[in-house]
Amino acid sequence: MTLPSATAVPGGRASSRRGSRAAGRERPAGSSATAGYFFVALYVGLLGLLGVAPVVYAIYLALSNSGGFGSSFVDAFKDYRFVPAFEHILAFMLIWLISQTILVVGLTLMLHTLAQRVGAVFRFLFYIPGALAGAASVVVWLFMLDPTASPFAFVLHWLGYAQFNNAIAPGNLSTIFAIMAFWTGAGGWIVVMYGALNNIPHELLESAQIDGANAFKTAFFIKLPLIRKWIVYMLVLSFAGGTQLFVEPTVLGSAALGVGVSKYWSPNQLAWFVASQYDNFAEAAALSVVLLVLGLFVAAVLVWRGRLFEAE
Amino acid sequence: MAFPRRHALQLVGIAVLLLFTAFFFVPIVWLFLAPTKTDGQLLTQSPFAFGSFHTLGQTFHRIVTYGGHSMLIWLKNSAIYSVGGTALAVLAAIPAGYGLALTHFIGRKALLSITLVVMIMPATALVLPLFLEINKLGLYGTIWSLILPFGFFPFGVYLTYIYFSSTIPKDLLAAARIDGASEWSVFRFIALPLARPIVSLVGFFAFVASWNNFFLPFVMTYDNSQYPVQIGLQQLIGSTASFNPTNFTAGSSIVVLHRPDLAMAVIIAIAPVLIVFLFAQRALVSGMLAGATKE
Amino acid sequence: MATVAFEQATRVYPKSDRAAVDRLDLDVHDGELLVLVGPSGCGKTTSLRMLAGLEHVDDGAIRIDGKDVVDLAPRDRDIAMVFQNYALYPHMNVAQNMGFALRMAGVAKGDIATRVRAAAKILDIEEYLERKPRQLSGGQRQRVAMGRAIVRQPRVFLMDEPLSNLDAKLRVATRAEIASLQRSLGVTTLYVTHDQVEAMTMGDRVAVMRDGVLQQCDTPRTLYADPVNAFVAGFIGSPPMNLVDGIAEAGGVRLGSTLVAAPSVPARPGEAVTVGIRPESLSLAAAGDGIPATVSIVEELGAEAFVYAQLVGADGPVAEGANVKGNVIVRGEPSAAPRNGELVHLLVKEGSTLFFDAASGARLRG
Repeated sequence: MTLPSATAVPGGRASSRRGSRAAGRERPAGSSATAGYFFVALYVGLLGLLGVAPVVYAIYLALSNSGGFGSSFVDAFKDYRFVPAFEHILAFMLIWLISQTILVVGLTLMLHTLAQRVGAVFRFLFYIPGALAGAASVVVWLFMLDPTASPFAFVLHWLGYAQFNNAIAPGNLSTIFAIMAFWTGAGGWIVVMYGALNNIPHELLESAQIDGANAFKTAFFIKLPLIRKWIVYMLVLSFAGGTQLFVEPTVLGSAALGVGVSKYWSPNQLAWFVASQYDNFAEAAALSVVLLVLGLFVAAVLVWRGRLFEAE
Repeated sequence: MAFPRRHALQLVGIAVLLLFTAFFFVPIVWLFLAPTKTDGQLLTQSPFAFGSFHTLGQTFHRIVTYGGHSMLIWLKNSAIYSVGGTALAVLAAIPAGYGLALTHFIGRKALLSITLVVMIMPATALVLPLFLEINKLGLYGTIWSLILPFGFFPFGVYLTYIYFSSTIPKDLLAAARIDGASEWSVFRFIALPLARPIVSLVGFFAFVASWNNFFLPFVMTYDNSQYPVQIGLQQLIGSTASFNPTNFTAGSSIVVLHRPDLAMAVIIAIAPVLIVFLFAQRALVSGMLAGATKE
Repeated sequence: MATVAFEQATRVYPKSDRAAVDRLDLDVHDGELLVLVGPSGCGKTTSLRMLAGLEHVDDGAIRIDGKDVVDLAPRDRDIAMVFQNYALYPHMNVAQNMGFALRMAGVAKGDIATRVRAAAKILDIEEYLERKPRQLSGGQRQRVAMGRAIVRQPRVFLMDEPLSNLDAKLRVATRAEIASLQRSLGVTTLYVTHDQVEAMTMGDRVAVMRDGVLQQCDTPRTLYADPVNAFVAGFIGSPPMNLVDGIAEAGGVRLGSTLVAAPSVPARPGEAVTVGIRPESLSLAAAGDGIPATVSIVEELGAEAFVYAQLVGADGPVAEGANVKGNVIVRGEPSAAPRNGELVHLLVKEGSTLFFDAASGARLRG
């Protein structure tokens, strides 16, 4: 970007020099562009190799099937396991998203009316299960669903489940996975929502009180609208995560060989199943592209429409 | 007239909170009590009764030695994958976040947007495409099939970006440049020493995410000697009598595990993360909040 | 020692249609303290940062000792800068902060320590050398920032509002210290401030900028006595010069209802002109003499008093943009200060009025 003419023209007044320096405009604070590339290089390498390349490769695999362009998508959609898998996660997400939204918002609003210190204890207790993400939480819930050992045995008996197999009957699975997801995730969201509520200026709540609003009306007319953005954020993010359900049915499945949980209960399981059992990488790729597009779409909407993130 | 009604509502509220406290916390309490009892005692005693330290010791010994000390192998694997992935994640994320926040280059905004999208996208969506790619590259079955994906941590880049752009005034870097520092020296002597809090925060998050990851090692590992502890737990379920009675027909050579053993295994598996949670709760919470904007 | 020259230096921010600094021509002489002053957004800080290499130069040249530095990185320009917020490295102690530039230049450790100590002695901050910036008061931080600049013995000092974060009393004391330090070191200095008092008291010369354009650059005395336009006239001086619109007539200018006599008005009769009168050039007179005005408020400062008054009948048709209401300030004796609401008569000191074009603000010379 440095042209020799920049110093060769003595006392240059010429506006023609404007062009010679315009190239360096992206250089505030004296930093240089090359330095910027240097700092992001390793990350960009990883992003390319592990973020972009797999997606491109999966799309390529899905499209370059021997059956012709796009035939692997047709295979995937026609697969007799495809529709049930999506029905399963649809049911799971309906139960999970509705109950999580109501309960997280309700519990947070309740906690916010308590004294700061008491609220902190509750939040901590709710948050701890978050440490047990992954297989550990599923194992814990195996115990909880086992009527012979569970501390919640009385509930299970009341529901008419005398044995473990009754509790994890196929019809119950969506609900069970929703409970597991809620158990590990809700505490974290309550912390986030509580933080959002704490960002509401104190004078605003006091002024609502002076205007005659009771605790209920303050929660409903002042607090709720102000954290609506976060509720949407939670919903959208949970939706994206929910479509990817894998750990829970897989681990639960290994506890009930020959019983209810199929190896292709969720779409992700199905994709893994066709890849590992039939070496049908094209159909697996097609399935994961479908799931990926769902996730990408949701993420893109949040980033470009949500204005939740500081992307300047 | 208003007062009794308000009290009643308060009581209902407290009851609801206690109910959910039970829901969230009873499983944890139960989990930590189970290894102190035998499987038989689990059925007969109250769920919240404490067994004995002697039984606890026996349970611990049984699970650690089970399957030729499999538990220790899995823990070691988990440590290698998580520490390796975390180190790579920090190594890549800190300079990248700095570059995005405080330097200018063509494509910076695009990179930031892509980072956000990949960060919000569920990580599990990439697992199968990654599996296909890793297979193709011939890395399947190596530790790199896990360390590399764990080291790709856009959330860490975003956290670092937010940290640098909100806590380091641009004039500070300008001062260093005027003081004669090269771009590398500015990073090395000014930005990096000031980044200590964010280094540990990114490290915590990367570690927890790697340690708890199930799906990725599930597809990337195929042998007991490679399993991390999350996959190990799943294996243990298969050896637990009450969950898989069909596996244990008479005369089977498989060592039978019982529920207290499995509970102990869960405790051992989550211990590192639980410790991080307990000690870094404040930091973790602040990170979660930093993940999105101030109102 | 060094000279600095801006030659048609221009900065246009991306996505802006107006130049932040528009063809700036400015010479800073060797060893001089030149103050850039103007209201916020006038381009003075941008000019300074262009010289520092922190801001891109879109057109023109900036020379240090005759050499165009536009394409040099900041670190290759041999300059030191004091930032408005000091920009002290929070993780380094005072000695490390002051020695950082020397360390970057590869100076031996022992030499760094000697030079840091010497600079600290000049600034009287030796006892704080081991402290971190957050353990220092605002005034001490300011000194460290100064110390960081002088320890390098650069060719040019750049100072960007270095006093604006100090309280009023400390600011007055530090202002004199910086000026005397600069004179004793003799380092060419470009100093940016929005405070015209600071500019007038510190600068060998003062350059007044507005909307990216240099208005006038001269000694403080000349700026005060002989401003080139109404903007400089109104910006320099505290309280500022009274600028009142009037109509030129034969033998004087009509301000409101009164004809103020002036021997030679540099405008044709009937033309609108802006009349500039310093507050000290107005005095209270007996009734029947001078311009009638109503007192709106009196500020008594002990040694002097400022009388804010409104010229009677000054609401008539006047040129656009000028002081339509005819508000004036009179500097006077507290003992003779009138009461609020009183009708007074103002006498203009002979030969003290300046005339400006009512539309462009340009100075009209007789």
